[in-house]
Amino acid sequence: MSAAVRALMYLVAAAAFGAAAFAALAASADGPREAFVTNQLADSVSVVDLATMKQVAEITVPGRPAGVAMSPMRDFAYVTTPEGKALFAIDTVARKVAWQLTVGEGPLGIAVNPRSGVVYVANWYGDEIVAVDPVRRAIVGRVKVGRAPSGIAVTEDGTTILTADREADALSVIDAATMIRTGEIKVGTHPFGLAIEPGGKRAFAANVVSNDVSVIDLATRKVTTTVKVGSRPYGIAFARGRAFVTNQASRSLSVFDLANLKVVATIRVGDYPEGIEASGDGAVVYVACWSDNVLQRVDVESLSVSGTADVGDGPRGFGAFLR
Amino acid sequence: MNRIVAAIVLIASLPALAMAHGPSRKKEVTTIEIDAPAEKVWEVVGNYRDMSWHPAIDKTEVDPGEYKKEVTKRKLTFKNGAVFTDTLTRHEPAERTIAFLTNDEDLKTLPVEGYSSTISVADTGGKSKVEWKGAFYRGYMNNDPPPELSDAAATKAVIAFQKQGLEALKAKLEAGQ
Repeated sequence: MSAAVRALMYLVAAAAFGAAAFAALAASADGPREAFVTNQLADSVSVVDLATMKQVAEITVPGRPAGVAMSPMRDFAYVTTPEGKALFAIDTVARKVAWQLTVGEGPLGIAVNPRSGVVYVANWYGDEIVAVDPVRRAIVGRVKVGRAPSGIAVTEDGTTILTADREADALSVIDAATMIRTGEIKVGTHPFGLAIEPGGKRAFAANVVSNDVSVIDLATRKVTTTVKVGSRPYGIAFARGRAFVTNQASRSLSVFDLANLKVVATIRVGDYPEGIEASGDGAVVYVACWSDNVLQRVDVESLSVSGTADVGDGPRGFGAFLR
Repeated sequence: MNRIVAAIVLIASLPALAMAHGPSRKKEVTTIEIDAPAEKVWEVVGNYRDMSWHPAIDKTEVDPGEYKKEVTKRKLTFKNGAVFTDTLTRHEPAERTIAFLTNDEDLKTLPVEGYSSTISVADTGGKSKVEWKGAFYRGYMNNDPPPELSDAAATKAVIAFQKQGLEALKAKLEAGQ
C-alpha cells in the first residue's frame, strides 16, 4: 500500500470517527493517559491523570458505583451502580454523565464487546446478563446465567461472552450474536474476577473463597490448572507474559508466569487491592486499593509500586478503567 | 395465605442467601490512643491465639497444628454463646499489623456479613495509637433491607464492637495487666 493511499485511508477514518474520537484513539496508542476509577463509598468516579498520578476531576455517580468498562474508542466510560440499579455512560472527554439506563437488580460486572461496542452488564441479584446498545441506549438482549454473576469477559473477536457466576462456582459461556448460554464450566469456590489472556486461548477466574485462580482452556472448556494465590483474590490483568492478581485480604498482588503458571512474585500494595488493569504496552499495571482510597501504579519490570494517586472513598475499579 | 407463601419462600431461600453478599461493602475505622509501649500493645492484639482482650469474646480456640502456617483459622466463642470462625489473612509483626476475616455470621450478635478486621499498632513516642479497620457488608443480602439488617444497623454494630474492643484493650494495658 502506498503512503498516499494510507494517508487517504486515515483521512477517511478521521472523518468517519470524528475528530474527538480520533484524538482519543491516537492517545490510547501512546499508552493510557487517564483512569476512571469508581469510588463506591463516595458515589463518584475519579479521573486520574496517569502522567502526574493526580486526580484531575471527580464525577458524581449516585447508587454505589462499582463496575467500569470503556467503549472501544475510549470516548465513553460505562459504570454500573448496584444500588442505583443503573448503567451510567460518562463522556470521557467532557467528563460528564451523558446518559443513564435502569438495567436491573444489582448491576455489578461490566464489559464491552470490542467489535460491536455492545455493553454487557451482570445483574448480581437477577442472575442474568443484559446487553445494552449504547447508541440506542436500550436493552437489546438478556440471558439467564448461574447465581450471582460478577466478572464478565468478552473474546477479542467479539463472539463469546464469559461470566463468573459467584454462587454457582462456575463460568457461563454465552454466544454474543444470539445471547444464548451455550455452556457452564465449573471452577473454584466463588469466582469473581475474570479475564481472557491476550490471544484468547485461555480464561482466568479468581476464586475469592478458595484463594486460587482457575485456568480454563476455552477450546475444551475445561480447567487445566489451578494456581494458588493470596487471600481473597479479586481481579486479574496480564502484562509481559505474566498474570497479576489482586489479593484483597493479603494486600498484595500475586504474579505468575503465563507459560508455566508458577508464581514468581508477590508484591505488597495498598490495602484491599481490587480492580486492576495493565497499560497497553504492559509496562505498568494500575490497581485500585479500596481501603486506602488510592490508585497505585506498579512497575512490571521492577515489580514494585512506582506511583500512588489519591482518589475518592472506596475505589473498586472493577473492570477496564484506563483510556 | 400470602404470608405463609412468603414464609416458605423465605425459608427456602435462606441457605443460599447465607452464602451470598451484596456488591456494596462498607468500611469503618476506629482508633484509640493507649498510654503503653507499642510492643506491649502488639503482644496482646497480635496474638491470634487469644482474643479475650475483647469483652464480647469468651474463648479463642486455634488448631495448634495450623498455627505455624501462613494462613490459619480460629474459633471465637462470644459471651452470648455465638460462635464465629475466622481466618488469619495477615500477621506482620514488623508492622504490628494483624488482619482476620470472619467466615460465618450470627446476625443477632453482629448484623453483618463478610466482616474483615485489620488492627495496627503505631508507636507514638513511647505511647501507642491503635487503628482497627473494619470492612463489612450489611446482614441483608438483597436490595431493600429491613431496618435491623440495613447498612445503618451494620455500621452501628461494627462501630460499637470495635469501640468496645479498643476501650477494653486500653483499660487492660493502662492498668498494666
